[in-house]
Amino acid sequence: MSNRNHIRNFSIIAHIDHGKSTLADRLLEQCEAVSQREMEEQLLDNMDLERERGITIKARAVRMEYKADDGEVYEMNLIDTPGHVDFNYEVSRSLAACEGALLVVDAAQGIEAQTLGNTYLALDHDLEVVPVVNKIDLPAADPARVKQEIEDIIGIPAEDAPEISAKMGINIRAVLERIVKEIPSPEGDEGAPLRALIFDSQYDPYKGVIVYMRLMDGRIAPGMKVRMMATGAEFQVIECGYMQPLGLSPQKGLSAGEVGYFTASIKNVADTHVGDTVTEAERPTTEALPGYRPAQPMVYCGIYTEDGSKYPDLRDALEKLQLNDAALSFEPESSVALGFGFRCGFLGMLHMEVIQERLEREFDLDLVTTLPSVIYQIVKTDGTTVFCDNPHDYPDPVLIEEAREPFVNASIMTPQEFVGNIMPMCQDRRGIFKDMKYLDSSLVELHYEMPTNEIIYDFFDALKARTKGYASLDYEMSDYRKSDLVKVDMLLNSEQVDALSFIAHREKAYGRARRICEKLKENIPRQLFEVPIQAAIGGKVIARETVKAMRKDVLAKCYGGDITRKKKLLEKQKEGKKKMRSLGTVQVPTEAFMAVLKLDEE
Amino acid sequence: MSRISYNSKALGLYLHIPFCASKCGYCDFYSLTDDARRKDYVAALLQHLREYGKVCSGYTVDTVYLGGGTPSCLGPKYLTRILNEVKGCFRLAEDAEITVECNPESTDKKLLDALKKSGVNRLSLGVQSADDNELARIGRIHTFEEAKAAVELARERGFDNISLDLMYGLPEQTKQGFLHSVRQVLDLMPEHLSCYGLKLEPTTKMGRENPVLPEDDEQAEMYLAMCEMLRESGFEHYEISNFAKPGRRSRHNCKYWDLSEYLGLGPGAHSYMNGRRFEFARDLKAYIGGENIVQDEDEVATYQRQGEYLMLRLRTAEGIDFIDLEKRYNIDSTPYEEAFRALLGRGLVAHQGTRWFLTEEGFLVSNSIINCIIEAGQPNIDTNT
Repeated sequence: MSNRNHIRNFSIIAHIDHGKSTLADRLLEQCEAVSQREMEEQLLDNMDLERERGITIKARAVRMEYKADDGEVYEMNLIDTPGHVDFNYEVSRSLAACEGALLVVDAAQGIEAQTLGNTYLALDHDLEVVPVVNKIDLPAADPARVKQEIEDIIGIPAEDAPEISAKMGINIRAVLERIVKEIPSPEGDEGAPLRALIFDSQYDPYKGVIVYMRLMDGRIAPGMKVRMMATGAEFQVIECGYMQPLGLSPQKGLSAGEVGYFTASIKNVADTHVGDTVTEAERPTTEALPGYRPAQPMVYCGIYTEDGSKYPDLRDALEKLQLNDAALSFEPESSVALGFGFRCGFLGMLHMEVIQERLEREFDLDLVTTLPSVIYQIVKTDGTTVFCDNPHDYPDPVLIEEAREPFVNASIMTPQEFVGNIMPMCQDRRGIFKDMKYLDSSLVELHYEMPTNEIIYDFFDALKARTKGYASLDYEMSDYRKSDLVKVDMLLNSEQVDALSFIAHREKAYGRARRICEKLKENIPRQLFEVPIQAAIGGKVIARETVKAMRKDVLAKCYGGDITRKKKLLEKQKEGKKKMRSLGTVQVPTEAFMAVLKLDEE
Repeated sequence: MSRISYNSKALGLYLHIPFCASKCGYCDFYSLTDDARRKDYVAALLQHLREYGKVCSGYTVDTVYLGGGTPSCLGPKYLTRILNEVKGCFRLAEDAEITVECNPESTDKKLLDALKKSGVNRLSLGVQSADDNELARIGRIHTFEEAKAAVELARERGFDNISLDLMYGLPEQTKQGFLHSVRQVLDLMPEHLSCYGLKLEPTTKMGRENPVLPEDDEQAEMYLAMCEMLRESGFEHYEISNFAKPGRRSRHNCKYWDLSEYLGLGPGAHSYMNGRRFEFARDLKAYIGGENIVQDEDEVATYQRQGEYLMLRLRTAEGIDFIDLEKRYNIDSTPYEEAFRALLGRGLVAHQGTRWFLTEEGFLVSNSIINCIIEAGQPNIDTNT
């Protein structure tokens, strides 16, 4: 099987809902890689959360064997990719492992943002892009228009693109034939020192970390001592092979061009960075594969359990998730308002949300989280420099010589007509315009330097909203720049609530403080006394709202039969109170913290 | 029945009359408009009175209360029959307070004379509002003029202890309109007033319609203004929703608020005897059939009794005296007292020595205050167990 001419490595690019997972299922079916009976709908996405959100969070790969019309049997490696800007790097590594990509476009809706962004990413990696028009069974399907759109917007020929319905199983074979004919077989030197690209890894309690890789040169076999070029860690390969839909298939060895996995009793995914190059320890390659970037948390937030006694469960859960997710970092912290919890670092907001949801769902935890923050750099008057991602640690202003905030280089790809919508938005977010490039007659790439904290919260969503979903975003950490930062404290009934403090640019602090006050007012129920809500910089109040005192909470009648009822009512109120946090004399429902967190989504 | 037993305990007797001429939109008491079953019901109730009369031979009944439903719609014949049976089966105190609830539409001379003759010495009349539009809106089937006539007739037939019911917080009601009703009702010179804030119960017609009610702040203003007006007219505000001229408090209802014992007969009636709370199911047919329909039977745990005591006493103007509380339950009342002290200065609670009570502002938010107090004393007790 290791005849390189008969290998095809490809991924699928599609917008959410355009049928990527369904098509993957059909391809597997067609290749009989998995019997109908064993087939679970949408096999590739095997996390519950992915299936529900319709997004693919962690890349997976699978090998199938296809007997083509030319009578030959081909080894088809499908490498799945995540689909969000937080995971852009992962996407790029997955694409780097392929020679081609299927571009799946909905026959009714046409091309959408994600498709565009990832297609350009694929073209950047010199991948052969094979367009496929899906959902032709829909009444609104217009394959001809969509093909024209593909040619106009992306600029690749689409005339012969297979018209399929993954759902109904129509024309699936045509897709496989196109893969065989259009996508080149991999190149590489089997005799050269091992060079394999890690595009994913997964922790398995029995085997340790399973490293998913694409071999570019050389061979790998059990017993071989390998080295991770970025981390320098060395391991002895115990098992290697390829992935089948329903499990691993160990082999005697893999060689250049193939996609597969190896295990080597690796305890920690942190040793197997996505994008790193695996080489032979005895005979290392001189040159690592290009494009490696260590995973760097961009956003931090505090995560607490609603029920304080669940703190140890939260720690266990985070440790388990970290086994599989090297980008997740956490360390213990505590808050007066929320008790014991963890300061956690994430690649971006989606990554943060995914982790939070997995904690709640897979580990059955009810969480309270604090406002996310980027990492600020503070030069103190004593000449030392400190990094600060937690408002709690923000130094007293008199001790600050210079405050700096992180910036990113952002590139936004968009059809030209939306440029007018995007520019004011970037400006409003303190973006510095660098340049604008025409990629073709209608597609434009904008470059901005932007403060990281302006981009992490809701920028991507806002961008999509202003461009009908067509624009794509990529960004890269650039540097730290001097900034007029302030720490804003929130006070309830004159007592500071540490969990609600935040760091912001002075210009942005007022608006944000005001909105947080409003949100708290909406979400804090009336209490027996008036509760002032204040936002303050230093000792100066910059925003204020008041929760008026409760006026009426009374049971009018309480005679014989009402006593049992009243007892039940009081018990219910007491239960409700358990969901509240006591901050000094004020009872705050956990939803209030959530509401503040969701501030930017409106 | 002249001799008083050596160990005579007082008992309140409540008889539920689950019939009405028509159902009011806000009411979720157990009541039906089915005329045909009245005879069978009265027979079952009489039977029940006889059974419980034997069980309660050690008690002296010092209050009797016929509530509903609408007892007056049962008519003079049945009511006389029931009251006679009470006298025959229970030892009745000579000065027993005997109350019957009446609605204006079914209160006539014949009925009043019969009640008077049967020893009824207190009437409770549902007036609810002096505004006919409001009355119609909540499903009452009488006008204010009819209510007024009923009160005047009762006076004429010799009743000198009359309580009237009023409601506030009705749909479209304004503070001004409500106070006008209060004034009109005061002109009827009642000895006692019960004034309830409307609460929409999900199972009622109005609960389903879910009309817009005056804002909480507006309702609070209505309540406070009414309290003031009644105080000026010589009423004592002795419980959250109850006002009486001196010496005219409802002795029967007071039993509910100081954990005295009472027996309630009829479907949907509740009892509290020997530390047990129980209810006869809201099922007229089963009741008539003589089935055992005791439910919600519940031995009240000691720590719950403290909670109940606080919850009920704090509804009253007297409130709670910590010397009594400590004696009653052999506890240290310090945590409760501290919780009260924390609320001082907000105008919600006040005290005289060791006796703590809620102010009228406090009554308005009594649920929250009571919870806060009970929790202070029993932080680690889960009331569900």
